[in-house]
Amino acid sequence: MNLILRLAWRNIFRNGRRTFLTCLLLACSLIALVLTDGVMRGMMDLMVETTTRTFAGEAQAHKKGFRDSFDVDLYIEDISIVANKLEADVAIEAYTIRTMSGAMMSSADNMAGGLLWGVDGEREAKVSKLKEALVDGSYLTGKDNEILIGEELADLLSVELGDRIVVTLSQVDGGELSQALFRLSGIFKFGMREIDSSMIFINLAQSRKILGMEAGAHQVAFNFVNAKDAVDPESATIRSLSTGDIEAASWVDLQPQMSAMLAMVDFSLLIVGGILFLIASLGIINSMFMSIYERIYEFGVAMAIGTRPSQMVTLIMAEAFFLALLSIVGGMIVSYFLIDYFSVAGIPMGDMEFEGISIHNNIKTIFDISQFTVLPLSVVALTLVAAIYPALFTARIVPSEALHKSL
Amino acid sequence: MSKVIETSHLCRYFGEGELLVKALDDVSIDVEEGEFSAIIGPSGSGKSTLLHLIGGLDKPTHGEVILAGTNIESMTRSALSNFRRDHIGFVFQAYNLIPVLSTIENIEYVMLMQGVPSSERRKRVFEMLDILGLDGLGGRRPAQLSGGQQQRVAVARAMVSRPNIILADEPTANLDSKTGISLLDMMKDLNVRHGMTFIFSTHDQKIMDRARRLIHLRDGLVELDEQRKEFAA
Repeated sequence: MNLILRLAWRNIFRNGRRTFLTCLLLACSLIALVLTDGVMRGMMDLMVETTTRTFAGEAQAHKKGFRDSFDVDLYIEDISIVANKLEADVAIEAYTIRTMSGAMMSSADNMAGGLLWGVDGEREAKVSKLKEALVDGSYLTGKDNEILIGEELADLLSVELGDRIVVTLSQVDGGELSQALFRLSGIFKFGMREIDSSMIFINLAQSRKILGMEAGAHQVAFNFVNAKDAVDPESATIRSLSTGDIEAASWVDLQPQMSAMLAMVDFSLLIVGGILFLIASLGIINSMFMSIYERIYEFGVAMAIGTRPSQMVTLIMAEAFFLALLSIVGGMIVSYFLIDYFSVAGIPMGDMEFEGISIHNNIKTIFDISQFTVLPLSVVALTLVAAIYPALFTARIVPSEALHKSL
Repeated sequence: MSKVIETSHLCRYFGEGELLVKALDDVSIDVEEGEFSAIIGPSGSGKSTLLHLIGGLDKPTHGEVILAGTNIESMTRSALSNFRRDHIGFVFQAYNLIPVLSTIENIEYVMLMQGVPSSERRKRVFEMLDILGLDGLGGRRPAQLSGGQQQRVAVARAMVSRPNIILADEPTANLDSKTGISLLDMMKDLNVRHGMTFIFSTHDQKIMDRARRLIHLRDGLVELDEQRKEFAA
């Protein structure tokens, strides 16, 4: 082995305690960074899943213009075009057909405005969590006059199961008022105020009838077998659906605030990493200077007998490299076990609401190969950057001055 | 005999204004090949400063140091390091050796820097171990050697690269009398047998007794440059 590298390797074991503490600092920085990355990825996945799998679906198809105006007249008349494509697409896990319109709900005690959704109960259960969110009563079976409302809306209307609710809405293609009488069949609670206080679900067939539609729908929501397909900007499914007067989009376009938040998370991870490494760098610089001052006489001797300044730089940089190497080995082993443990056990976060999205589940860390490649390499690179100043300091040592330092 | 060292009006000042200290003031000496000389004088007289300037460990405030025909003033730090590596051997008072290297590794350190081939290195190292009575100690680290053995390893390291001159700064200061005499006799023998040039900075009487030339320094000035008659050829 090259003499300088041999010297550097042996030097780092001269003061075991200091080496251990420096490595611990670096390893802890790496562990913190890997865990932060794992938690952030887990949180983002949970938020995306909460957003898409709760109700919206990973992607949706509408008639062009509907997303901008929510005009009930803009509905897909021949829904079979979309349905057939989705049935034939192996990338699709499930889809559901929905009508949607603003409506006024009246009970014996009160009245409130809201969004009326007509859904196929069986299909809806495969795409959204409507069925799971039911806290009282029964789910949609397809019979007329069944209606599901949120817990908050039920409180507002002061209704209980079996009570009458009158729904008033404007029909499509003309705007005639239409009314229908329902008996409250179920109460749901998603834990998202927006849904629980203003959304009402009835059977698709009855919604078409009171809206004056024959077989159309306003929205087709669907989930992919592989959730990553939804974020693929070149998704074949999305492209094949977006033909004629139909437009399809994944949650990335439907929920731009969520996409922006994901980008922000990447940036915040960079900031957290920067702060961690700044602290670690100061520790490294301090430790290296202590080690240099302890050996200053020895460096004087080494330079006196012909060690070049550039070789002194190499020596200090090599010591830093070996310190970083030891640290990342330790850090990666501990990180692996922690990521693995929390990916199963999860980190309890209580009930958390972030950007209007309620998160109830534990956040499970997500393993990513970059945590064990890019992040450790960053630790090595930043340790080397931190070592540049001590290395240059060593190269500038004047042998005669160093030899006068106390032995 | 050719001159291996020439110093001309050498000055080394520290500090400035009222705090100016003239460690060396207008020192001009020449050293010829094969000399066994000692720079002597009381503490603070400038012995180590002169030795450091001669060895290129420091640069003079004024004056010139010409080593083996080369003026060190014109050299870059890196070139000076190479020059020291190839032309000068150093022995210091103590803690001379690199603690994490074995005896053999310490001795071959300079040759490794010079890029001497492995077989040649090993040959020269074992030759030195034999000459200096260090057989069997090659694998030991400095902490496992006595003070005398450490100084002998330092002498071996200084000599093994075959420099033009060996500079020794108080080499016997941390040795007991018997070990010091043994080391000096060995160095003297190397001087006589191999014609190596030795310059000591010392106030050890044992070195003075063996030196052919004594350069007396006082307050940074050469007080006396004495050729010892008893050593005249």
